[in-house]
Amino acid sequence: MNSCSVEGVFQVENLNLFYGEHQALIQVNLPIEKNKVTALIGPSGCGKSTFLRTLNRMNDLIPNCKVEGTICYRGENIYDKTTDVIDLRRKVGMVFQKPNPFPMSIFDNVAYGPRCQGVKEKNTLNQIVKQALIDAALYEEVKDRLKENALSLSGGQQQRLCIARAIAMSPEVILMDEPTSALDPIATSKIEDLIIELKKQYSIVIVTHNMQQALRISDKTAFFLLGELVEFGDTETLFTHPKHPKTEAYITGRFG
Amino acid sequence: MLNNRRITKIKDFFLQTITYLSSFVSLGALLIIVGFLFSKGIHLLNINLITENYLSTGFVADVFPDTPLCNCEPTIELGENVYYSPKWGIALVDSKDLLGKNVVEIEYVHANSPLRQVNDKGIGIEPIRLRTDYDMIRIAFDAYPTALSRFGAQNMIQALEANNTIREMEFQTTGGGIRGSIITTLYLIFFTLLFALPIGIGAAIYLNEFAKPSRWTRLLRTAIETLTGVPSIIYGLMGLAIFVPLTVSLTDATGGNILSGAMTLAVILLPIIIRTTEESLKVVPDDFRQASLALGANATQTTFKVVLPSAFPGILSATLLAIGRIVGESAALVFAIGTSIKDHITVTGKSTSLAVHIWAMMTDEPANIELSATIALIIVFITVILNLVIKILSTRYLKRKLGGAHE
Repeated sequence: MNSCSVEGVFQVENLNLFYGEHQALIQVNLPIEKNKVTALIGPSGCGKSTFLRTLNRMNDLIPNCKVEGTICYRGENIYDKTTDVIDLRRKVGMVFQKPNPFPMSIFDNVAYGPRCQGVKEKNTLNQIVKQALIDAALYEEVKDRLKENALSLSGGQQQRLCIARAIAMSPEVILMDEPTSALDPIATSKIEDLIIELKKQYSIVIVTHNMQQALRISDKTAFFLLGELVEFGDTETLFTHPKHPKTEAYITGRFG
Repeated sequence: MLNNRRITKIKDFFLQTITYLSSFVSLGALLIIVGFLFSKGIHLLNINLITENYLSTGFVADVFPDTPLCNCEPTIELGENVYYSPKWGIALVDSKDLLGKNVVEIEYVHANSPLRQVNDKGIGIEPIRLRTDYDMIRIAFDAYPTALSRFGAQNMIQALEANNTIREMEFQTTGGGIRGSIITTLYLIFFTLLFALPIGIGAAIYLNEFAKPSRWTRLLRTAIETLTGVPSIIYGLMGLAIFVPLTVSLTDATGGNILSGAMTLAVILLPIIIRTTEESLKVVPDDFRQASLALGANATQTTFKVVLPSAFPGILSATLLAIGRIVGESAALVFAIGTSIKDHITVTGKSTSLAVHIWAMMTDEPANIELSATIALIIVFITVILNLVIKILSTRYLKRKLGGAHE
């Protein structure tokens, strides 16, 4: 059990995941590197979102979900019985496909995570919220209406708020599950710029359906098909010289 | 082909007509009820009914010896049907009391009247001041037939004018007011919600957020649903068997009281509150729960900081339903709180709610339909007003909480 690698951020080894009888991930081996954007691509139902959710154990919430194999994070297997899931999720933030701010004020949304951790001091909270909003490139747009309901923001702003909410926990890794699929092109490009900016501080894993997006923002790309990791490598190489014929077929649009 | 389309059209028309008719019938039923209450009850509705005591105090008194007769004219303008006795300086009028019964009401007493202050023949030592809203029941003379209120005000005045002495007179304060029952009803609402809301919401949270689907939770749900259908009179019996003795042994209560009534109502309401709250918890998007958990919040934090506030509108409607039920419940309360109508309300004392007040009025001989309709109107008003107040307060709460952008 202690044969856990300390290299990179995550080291995924022989990961198998079952939803009841159905095997959704088959023998996945994948390293996630520090301060890089790793894109997960593949057709719908290929297991890329499932894989993303194994990294912060959000799959725990699904009944009948069983995980085998190891995911090393800081030298420890996060599927060990001793792992503190709450602590893991504080270190590994997540942004969802649909912007899902809480029905509270903008400020309360960003302050939610720190508050749950027990931060009560008002100045500290103000500081955290301000910095998170600045880092998420949202501060200028909302600084005068922090008390307003977050649901009054536009979709793109809501998604950046969700990113700010994740950043406020000062995580190491941010997982993004198709963060732009519900947004228009302008909001999408803002989020993409933000991701490139964020990579300086955080390691990012992003699931995307949009191959142009993967090409634009990611350093590494992993291609999943039917629960298997078909190919993993530098994004440029993978898109220009795919090793596997199925990868080539997918990125050239012949199926998917 | 054409024929088929025509059949479809006829079918559509038929089904649509049924829905129109159904909605009209339900609206009509409501209008008929409200209309009935108004037509029967509106003429007894006045502020005295709401503010007055139910029980009237009767007095028996005679005139202090050596008080001179008045022989004076009234100092105020008296109405048309008011009869005045110059000799005694008193004006009487035929009137109806709060219960709608015929009475002779004292309209005016002259400042020099010998009847202004009379000698209490009961336990009192102090002279009684004859007040203008008292009802005169009878006036007895030394050598003259007693004047009774059922012969009317004119007869009484004629008798007074014909006599220079009064042997004895009987009068009483106005009774029949429903103030006590209104207060009891408000108390009941408060205590019932105090008992039922925390337990009901807690149970709903357990069932929807924490409990893993199992045979036990299925059983629990079935039990709760079954309880919804149990007639309330059975709960009343249970209240009589459990809560009345419980409150009697714990407090200074001697029988059914507001607390035992509220506890019984709380049990009746639990299934309703649990179900309504659970429905509202179910519609809170899973996105919120996931977002909260992904931020490192634990299940309890997620439930109380995110899920519960989002379910607030649903919990509010559960509360409104509950209030309607509390105000309207009578069968269970007949046992759990009792039917004695009281004016001085204490939490552990005997009293009764408005709905049971109606029941008491209808079991009178003869049944007092008018007053029942009036009380029913008041119940409707109270329910509407409470609902509005809660709606307004909650809108404000939501606005403050959400920074004015809640849709």
